[in-house]
Amino acid sequence: MEFFKIGDKFIINMKKILSYFFVPGKSPGKSIVVLLLLISIIAHIELKGQGKAITKKNITFIDYPDFPEAHSTWGSIGYNAKYNSVFIGVTNHHDKVGFYEYNASLQEMKLKGFINDLGYLRPYQWQAKIHSKIIFGADGTAYFTTDGGESREEYLMDHPQGYVGGFFMKWNPATSMMTNLGMAMPYESLKDIEIDPATNTLYAITYPQAHFIVYNPAKNDLLDLGRLSSSHVPRVLFTDWWGNCYYVDWRQRLVKYEKEKGCLVFDKNSLPAFEGTPGAKIITGITAFAKDEKNKIIYILTYGAKILAFHPQKEGIGSVEDLGGVADTGNQPEWGPYVPNLNFGNNGNLYYFVGGHGNYIKKDTGVLMEFNPNTKIRKIIYEFSSEELAEATGSDIKDKDGNLYFAGRCAGNEEGNSTVQPKAFMIKFNPEKEVQK
Amino acid sequence: MKIFIKILLVLFLLIQRQDSLFAQFTFFNPKESFAIEVSLPNSDLKRLPIYRNSISSMIVTGDYIIGGTSANEGLTPFVFTASLKQQQVVEVIDFNLVIPGQQAIPTGFCRGNNSTFYAGTLANKKAGGAEGDGHLFNAEIGQEGTISIKDLGIPIPGEGIISLTLDSEKKILYGVSYPSGLFFKFVIDTREIKTYKNIAVTDKQKELYKEYEQGPQNYLCKSLIQADGLIFGSMPVNTIFYFDTKTESFNIMKDIPEVWGRRTMGQIESWARSANGEIYGGNAGDGQLFEIDPVTKNLRNLGKPIGMNRLRGLAFGDDGKLYGIAGSKPGYSHLFSYDEKEGFVDFGNPEFKMTAHGIEQGILWRGFQFGTLASSEDGKYIVMGEDESLSQLLIFAVGSKNEPRVGE
Repeated sequence: MEFFKIGDKFIINMKKILSYFFVPGKSPGKSIVVLLLLISIIAHIELKGQGKAITKKNITFIDYPDFPEAHSTWGSIGYNAKYNSVFIGVTNHHDKVGFYEYNASLQEMKLKGFINDLGYLRPYQWQAKIHSKIIFGADGTAYFTTDGGESREEYLMDHPQGYVGGFFMKWNPATSMMTNLGMAMPYESLKDIEIDPATNTLYAITYPQAHFIVYNPAKNDLLDLGRLSSSHVPRVLFTDWWGNCYYVDWRQRLVKYEKEKGCLVFDKNSLPAFEGTPGAKIITGITAFAKDEKNKIIYILTYGAKILAFHPQKEGIGSVEDLGGVADTGNQPEWGPYVPNLNFGNNGNLYYFVGGHGNYIKKDTGVLMEFNPNTKIRKIIYEFSSEELAEATGSDIKDKDGNLYFAGRCAGNEEGNSTVQPKAFMIKFNPEKEVQK
Repeated sequence: MKIFIKILLVLFLLIQRQDSLFAQFTFFNPKESFAIEVSLPNSDLKRLPIYRNSISSMIVTGDYIIGGTSANEGLTPFVFTASLKQQQVVEVIDFNLVIPGQQAIPTGFCRGNNSTFYAGTLANKKAGGAEGDGHLFNAEIGQEGTISIKDLGIPIPGEGIISLTLDSEKKILYGVSYPSGLFFKFVIDTREIKTYKNIAVTDKQKELYKEYEQGPQNYLCKSLIQADGLIFGSMPVNTIFYFDTKTESFNIMKDIPEVWGRRTMGQIESWARSANGEIYGGNAGDGQLFEIDPVTKNLRNLGKPIGMNRLRGLAFGDDGKLYGIAGSKPGYSHLFSYDEKEGFVDFGNPEFKMTAHGIEQGILWRGFQFGTLASSEDGKYIVMGEDESLSQLLIFAVGSKNEPRVGE
């Protein structure tokens, strides 16, 4: 469809140009040379404007070395602008979390260590995941939180084996030093983290009781602002340009921590949702976000598969635009697709993988979508079998060259007869140029 | 031969069934049970704002649940009504507009005559840090769930009220003050007040509690029950007393059942009385349920419903079972039932469907922390009030069939 639009425009342009150069009864002469030059210039402009075709050379999967048990990654990825590097927490989904740095300049992935060693954790302080983003202060210091995240923490009620965790952790990339900043609440995981870079104030959300935490590491001041959500805890926090932090309540209304007033502000209205979106989807809120800093827009994906454009304002809650659904779902409900990732390309388009947790728009197939927020046109770029790529996580990870990163994992299939073992890897993608590992 | 093979196949499948690996927890969510949204900031609906809604007092009259809340320090509470039939809040009263400066309504509501209910308050501290003056009040509930509050005054200046019970025939309220733990008698019609120091915390006891980082909330009597002219409660340290209203005398009865090493935590925080007159109590310190024979005063320790301490609410359902909430921070509250035949049954964290304007499809609400529990007058409903920054009501329809949802 897009191809024909480009073609039509090109033919119209050509007709106009030819009428100037080919006057009936006159010899073409030098006009042909000038015309050829003009044609090449116009074609160049047209191609540049539309971008080159995206091929498999625009994407690559990068393995995590020295960790054969690397099972999965759960949103535990972030970009450090100071060092032009991507940090990732990779788990065996039981008790071991590898902390990785991918140096985007050197194109090199390195294991920096395991957090139980780096953070001086004892065996009874096992952590099953980093479930949070990895975020950075203005000086490049990394912060993340840890999560119990597996059966003995989630399903053995009241913690007979005593889950000790939900730690805030700090990593100094210059000295390769990990500092354990302590817990927020007893027996609670920390699912996500955010930062106000101006003050290094950290925000976090606990699991399973969904308490909103504000923590100042410099003063060791921790504020528990109480429970904000329902049965299934929304996993995503994000901040605006002023360092205010956002979450959602059980009605999928934005809740803002307004840092200057030091209080929570609740939106009056819920975020847009498709008619018939089940309550279980509503209460889980937001799955991913990406920021368009230039235009001051934060793009949001919901558990109910909506793409939204949020225009934050310094005081109060800003406006929200409904940009539609994440994918064409055919005769399936539009609220169905699961998208726990989002990136914003330098070309102004949004990119996200649809699928995961047994929830695909095509059976056992993970797809990468491109969405133009201006035209609201979306298209499938790649399709992967779930044995290649089942699920991707990560919000707003872009390096200085416009490469976009996702934390990916492959899995088996719906029938459960696949021989493929779950495995984690990083995805590097650039819609505008080929990428290298 | 074919029949023989079929029988073998059926037996094989049955054996496989018995070897089920079922281990993951399920949520207790019977179909007829439901949640009512009580708290929601920035809403045009009748809802309570954040940090002022911890449901600390509750009683049910007819179709209406009456709730009294506790607020964070410096903030003020609410009284509200919610309809069981409509499954929504019908009336909300900002308590500060009626009696200013109060922080909490912790006493529960005592049922009087003509839809009048009595309760007491804890006040916010005065400017300068002195203890505030708690009030007694009554709330009249109208036909449509409307609330009319009347201030009955300050029984003891500089003290709040932490527990209360009513002799409805004589129209006398009996209570315990906070933080001193003075026992008092308040005649409603004449507002005559009489105080007793018999169960108050002594200086020596305060020193002991200080050693264990325990404050008045940890050792004062949190709940009183009136039975045939006797008022039962607890006093420091780990002791049960009863007050004889006829002779106006105190009797030190027994120790609260304790687990070794937790004696200083002994405190009765809930009571319920069965149809045949037995009294059941809950110990905050260790979470034991116990039974008192009101005639012989014999006490029987019935054990603990779950592994945690706290037992914050008790009430009987129409099935004759005693329901309660056990456990609290840093763990989670569990709903449990008890009867002689079955013993304890732990239902875990209830998770009921909450439906309201704007969430017509319903969302599941999981109760982690409960502050109080009450049964409807007909015993068909057990109502639990949350103790959260945004607290809701969860209502269990007694006898409804559980359709467990596997936790995830």
